[in-house]
Amino acid sequence: MNYPFWNIPYLGSGWVIGIIAIFHVMISQFAVGGGLYLPLAERKAMRMADKQMGAEWLKQLARHSKFFLILTAVFGTVSGVGIWFAIGLTNPEATSTLIHNFVFGWAMEWVFFMIELATVAVYYYTWDRIDPKLHLKVGWVYAGASIATLVIINGILTFMLTPGDTWLAVAGTGHEASKFWNAFFNPTYWPSLFLRACVCASLAGIWALITSSHIDGDKHPALKTSLVQWSVKWLVPSFVAIPFLMIWYLMMVPESQRALLSLGIDTIGAGTFSIITRIALVIIVTSATIVGVAYYLAYRNPVEFNLSHAMAVLLLALIATGSGEYAREMLRKPYVIGRWMYSNGVRVPYVARINQEGYLVHSEWVWNSSTSSYSRGEAIFRGECGSCHTLSGYRPLKTLLAGRDQANIGSFITMLHDYKPDSPYRRFMPPMVGTKQDVDDLTNYLNAQVNPPAPAKVLTAQK
Amino acid sequence: MTERTITSSAYNWIDERLGLSELAAFARHKTVPVHSQSFWYYWGGISLFLFLVQCFTGVLLLVYYRPGAEAYESVRQITFVMHFGWLIRSAHAWAANLFIFAILVHMFSVFFMKAYRKPREFGWLSGMVLLGIASVFGFSGYLLPMDELSYFATKVGLQIPVAIPFVGPAIANMLRGGPEVSEFTVQRFFALHVVVLPALFLPLLAFHLWLVQRHGNASPPSEDAKPASERKSIPFMPNFLRKDLAMWLISLNILALLASVFPWALGRQADSLVPAPAGIHPEWYFMSPFEMLKLLGNVLPGEFGEIAGILLFTLGIALWILIPFYDIGKESGQRARAAHYFGLLAVFALLATTVIGYWTIR
Repeated sequence: MNYPFWNIPYLGSGWVIGIIAIFHVMISQFAVGGGLYLPLAERKAMRMADKQMGAEWLKQLARHSKFFLILTAVFGTVSGVGIWFAIGLTNPEATSTLIHNFVFGWAMEWVFFMIELATVAVYYYTWDRIDPKLHLKVGWVYAGASIATLVIINGILTFMLTPGDTWLAVAGTGHEASKFWNAFFNPTYWPSLFLRACVCASLAGIWALITSSHIDGDKHPALKTSLVQWSVKWLVPSFVAIPFLMIWYLMMVPESQRALLSLGIDTIGAGTFSIITRIALVIIVTSATIVGVAYYLAYRNPVEFNLSHAMAVLLLALIATGSGEYAREMLRKPYVIGRWMYSNGVRVPYVARINQEGYLVHSEWVWNSSTSSYSRGEAIFRGECGSCHTLSGYRPLKTLLAGRDQANIGSFITMLHDYKPDSPYRRFMPPMVGTKQDVDDLTNYLNAQVNPPAPAKVLTAQK
Repeated sequence: MTERTITSSAYNWIDERLGLSELAAFARHKTVPVHSQSFWYYWGGISLFLFLVQCFTGVLLLVYYRPGAEAYESVRQITFVMHFGWLIRSAHAWAANLFIFAILVHMFSVFFMKAYRKPREFGWLSGMVLLGIASVFGFSGYLLPMDELSYFATKVGLQIPVAIPFVGPAIANMLRGGPEVSEFTVQRFFALHVVVLPALFLPLLAFHLWLVQRHGNASPPSEDAKPASERKSIPFMPNFLRKDLAMWLISLNILALLASVFPWALGRQADSLVPAPAGIHPEWYFMSPFEMLKLLGNVLPGEFGEIAGILLFTLGIALWILIPFYDIGKESGQRARAAHYFGLLAVFALLATTVIGYWTIR
């Protein structure tokens, strides 16, 4: 293809994105939810009849906003840039498609990022320095800008799962950007936006529990009780709405993708792609646990609520967020951009051409394509398999193909190449593209990995 | 009559016959000390919860499991054919491992907090028996799928009773139902696992819980040394129970995570004619005794070594079980310190032999 392959042994390049992205989402969604939490809490404190309590709330909010500033403006931004590096290296073809379509969208996004960074700094540094009403207004500006970033990035993220028929009709013509708004407001845009908004609110409450847990319950029982209980209430919208939003979201996903969810109901067999079902279970159980644990540990025991309890809730949120993002990524299989680009960067309409002309002919950065079959096979492995598999590590081909001989590996790859309508792998794996020679080269390479030849006897001089 | 009076008269009617008020008073009686070591109080409850999970998942597995010659096939169907059969089986297997782990944490926390001292000696003793039964639960359950790994691991594991002088081989033969591990062994282990062991475990568990309720949680000696005005405690009902419930939820979540992300695999069907695959070893909770006997066998080879090893091993366990009758003082005297070092030695020996065991798997 048009870019070099980024080979990450054992872990797989996908996990490089995954690890950065899960960390980023935990913080960036806090940036959105917490952006709303701060001015709403500030307004509530300013309107309190008990002025003493209002003042204590504001003092605590100032401490919380410092935590918020450091976490979102430092770690949030750095990890966001990290995602850019990682997706550009891991899946340059898909990244290129996204940039060509959404460059205007990202331009808007970055404007709002700048507003966010400026206002969050102003918000923190002007506590008690400017008129409280003006300070609150700064908070509202931040909240508006951070919501806008979610509104924009949600269009790009959902596009990858469901680009929509209108955009697909112009895909590959060079006029894709003319259907910007169709691609942006794609079928899963709205359910996903509301889902993420609920998650943002939950994370705002959960992160606020971390700072609230620091309040000394023996010295300030009323303050701690009111803040902890108010923060727990931020979980309520999720608890009520997410089950319905999830159903709505899945209704908008194509039937073929929805079917992936059921692959693991009755089996855990290797190579059956049962993982989405299992991860979906983790999401459901963990989401329920978060609400239960927050209720028992925080809402019912606010004064004794400590940092360990808060960390337990945060870790559960990390599990739920990580599982949610992982499931969303997996739900796109076998595509990286629904019905347009397979997860290994091969565009769907190009398959026939590559099958005729060969995979390596179209791989600009492979310069030694005329050498041995093994080397050609290795290049094909990196290009076609490497975005989802490693040799030994994550989804290891050495294990998945273990027990097969050369002929058997060959027929398996041929089956992936033929990609017949009844092939079970069609549901979650891209076709193996290339000529008969490419199939043989990949077979030779993989066979040498799975069934390594016995080491040649080395004669050494005896003393 | 208003709804309130109907409820209260119904309560009174039952109360007169079953003594609900006494039960409620008994439930309210327990308090839990609050201090920096309070975290360890959750582990008994977590063990109990994991036991309940196993009862529930075990009953579901019982519906489809067929002991004897069809054992492997029935587990294969549960894992690869039935809807969410893999989940129930994985949850059962993971809960079993977490259960043993939670009991061990519970036991060591009780030990180091010296919660076995008067009047809690029976709590300690019943707990030790419960741990013993739990490990037999684990051992017998491990064989039931009858795949390659469980077959050979059971074969290796049964070498432990064989080492008991004189009666060892007879006990091993009785457990196996013959000289070799076979479908008869599965049948026997099944009966043990689902009838005999629960029948022993449940009444003892009830006794253990009754004792905990009666005596409440013990404070560590450092807490006891403080004046009463500085000690804090909360009622078990409902304050600590709420926290306990949160811990149960977290345990359930960890269990769901492990069972879903790392579902319990099923190997190839056991075949006694096939040579044992490489790296066969007992489950992690048996690794330490297995390795200790092996190491002692290396130091003192031959039959004498085996007997000496078993005797030494039995002596160690006896000392451990009888600790409440040795470390009896309220103050932290010499005996208290000796018991503390004995505990540290036990933790070290357990960890070291487990690590060596895994390190030397062939």
